[in-house]
Amino acid sequence: MEKVKKENDTLDLDAIVAKYRPIVSFRIKKSLGVTNPDWEDVVNEIIMNVIEKVKKREFRGESSIGTFIYTITSRRIVDYIRKKSKVLKHAPEPDPFPAPHEEIENKERAEMIADCIKKLKPKFREILYLYYYRDMTREEVAKKLGVSPRRVSERVNYSQKLLKKLIKK
Amino acid sequence: MVEVNGKAKTMRKCKYEDLIDDYLLKRLPESEREIFEEHYFNCSHCFQELTERNELIAVVKDKGYSLFQKEIMAEETKSVSWFESVRAYITPRTWAVAAVSAALFLLVILGVIPSLRTSSPQFFINEDLVRGESITLISPVIDIPTVPTQFRWKSHGEDVEYKIYLYNEQLLWTETTTENSIILPEEIRNLMIPSETYSWQVKAYAKEGGLIAVSSRVRFRIISTQ
Repeated sequence: MEKVKKENDTLDLDAIVAKYRPIVSFRIKKSLGVTNPDWEDVVNEIIMNVIEKVKKREFRGESSIGTFIYTITSRRIVDYIRKKSKVLKHAPEPDPFPAPHEEIENKERAEMIADCIKKLKPKFREILYLYYYRDMTREEVAKKLGVSPRRVSERVNYSQKLLKKLIKK
Repeated sequence: MVEVNGKAKTMRKCKYEDLIDDYLLKRLPESEREIFEEHYFNCSHCFQELTERNELIAVVKDKGYSLFQKEIMAEETKSVSWFESVRAYITPRTWAVAAVSAALFLLVILGVIPSLRTSSPQFFINEDLVRGESITLISPVIDIPTVPTQFRWKSHGEDVEYKIYLYNEQLLWTETTTENSIILPEEIRNLMIPSETYSWQVKAYAKEGGLIAVSSRVRFRIISTQ
């Protein structure tokens, strides 16, 4: 919030766009699917809409700028789905969560992460295998490994930390 | 420790951080999903964590088969060895014993148990099929030399009221008693004539009035008068 305000306390539109475009894009890709050819257009429309509303002073600070943009984004998603459903009478609703493999945009980075996963100790690899690859619940993994569900979450989080370190090297 | 969705969580930078996995793995109910979505529009830390975790899950899902070959092989070996150990334990002799045991078990289930069950006779009361017990009539049955003075049947326990019916072509007489026999009144005896065939029946009622047993309708013939 602070970063999007200029010294004279007016909103810095460039900063807003820089900060929120990735967030809006993430939300749109999750909702419409990254393979949906419209997703970038929808993001651009939302950003334009935000800029327009801020310029017209429709954002009065009743909520945070984040919530303001979240609301605009959510409404646009609903509109998009409604319009698509009208055009194609029996069009299936877009998968709100596209298959994860569709989201790997940076192939090199994906390869790097995969290499780092291979370097993890077996107990961390195992937790990633059961929890993410086998799609087991926290409780199922806990039962299988004979640990508490909280321990499972801790181990997953620690695996991520280790990966971050390995990636930075 | 903080509470998120009723679950105890380890203190983190942001309490919503614990929802990241459930959100990405589609395990959040809609209302919580919306709350979390609004949250990551407002929390840079959670959004950063969210994108990193999303990337990790994407790689695991996409490259998991080659990444986790060791784990997959270990699981397959484990399941095969379990099957093998069970199969090794079951010898042909064990199979034979199991088959004989199963046959005996079926024999008991299908043969012995039904025969242990006392069968309830079916009879009709006012055209309604009733399941209950039967009353055995003792006398008179078949042919009798004289007009009967008494009717007797097997007792059906205490606190039972019996209703007796005497018929020729239609109902001739009916009476109730708590005994398992009843004296035929003189005026009814006088109505009964030799060579005629009569029939009688007894019904047993519980103290509360419910019908509990019925006899079959037994015929008898009076061969001569007294």
